[in-house]
Amino acid sequence: MPPRSHTPANTEVIVDRTNNTIILTREFSASRELVFGAWTQPEHVACWWDSSGIRLNKCEIDLRPGGAFRFVHQGRPEIPHFAGIYRKIAPPGELVFEAMGAIGKVILEDLDGTTLMTVSIACASAAHLDQFLQMGVDAGTSQTLDNLVAYIGGLKR
Amino acid sequence: MSVDLYIPIWQYSHMEIDRAEPLNLLFGALADPTRRAILARLALGDADVSELMKPFNLTQPTISKHLTVLERAGLVTRGRDAQRRPRNLVAAALKDAADWIEPFRRQWESRFDNLDSHLSSMKKKEK
Repeated sequence: MPPRSHTPANTEVIVDRTNNTIILTREFSASRELVFGAWTQPEHVACWWDSSGIRLNKCEIDLRPGGAFRFVHQGRPEIPHFAGIYRKIAPPGELVFEAMGAIGKVILEDLDGTTLMTVSIACASAAHLDQFLQMGVDAGTSQTLDNLVAYIGGLKR
Repeated sequence: MSVDLYIPIWQYSHMEIDRAEPLNLLFGALADPTRRAILARLALGDADVSELMKPFNLTQPTISKHLTVLERAGLVTRGRDAQRRPRNLVAAALKDAADWIEPFRRQWESRFDNLDSHLSSMKKKEK
């Protein structure tokens, strides 16, 4: 197979229409343990989750299967928080959670010191998937997932 | 339950209907890793079925099946050489797909950029 074009400081997105899944991959020059910690410890999540770089106002994590999490953005009350339930916690390789009607899965693979992170977002239907992607388009220039969260937050059953 | 009921209504009012079907074909075609590899090979230059069989270690019917999906999605066309029937990559179609998800990709890119620099500061503290 031809080599996959891959720049380390880049996020690759694949839309898997057969499984209604969005797959994001990214490589980090850090151990899996460190990346897993950054995803699961509130003091760390608070530092990077908001894509604009602003620290989260609140970050609550109950790290166990069935445990809830809640990430609250700072200074923008119009944006509902990002909240869900953890489904599987298997450090340092796998984290599964449910949020916004989708299943999020974080897989961390050790590539000889660096970590290949694969984040998949499995949507409930093709329409749900389109909605995820379309949100970004509607936002025009990107900066945050806020519109997406705000919109889907309003749809929660 | 309300999610599935609600979204189609939203979709009809917001999506460009005539764009939806070609996009489905396009993303369906791109969802398969072998087909992406075939596209990557064609990006280097046109190739016929037998030339594509070698690097992928696939049978002729399998390659042909993948090529049909790629052609239907408008990603690949057949060349004029009747003997060889080489396939060419349609770069514009690939760019359409890339453009469509680019804002979404950039949102996550900024988030992961934040994570990347946060990991560096975590490493420093560990030392």
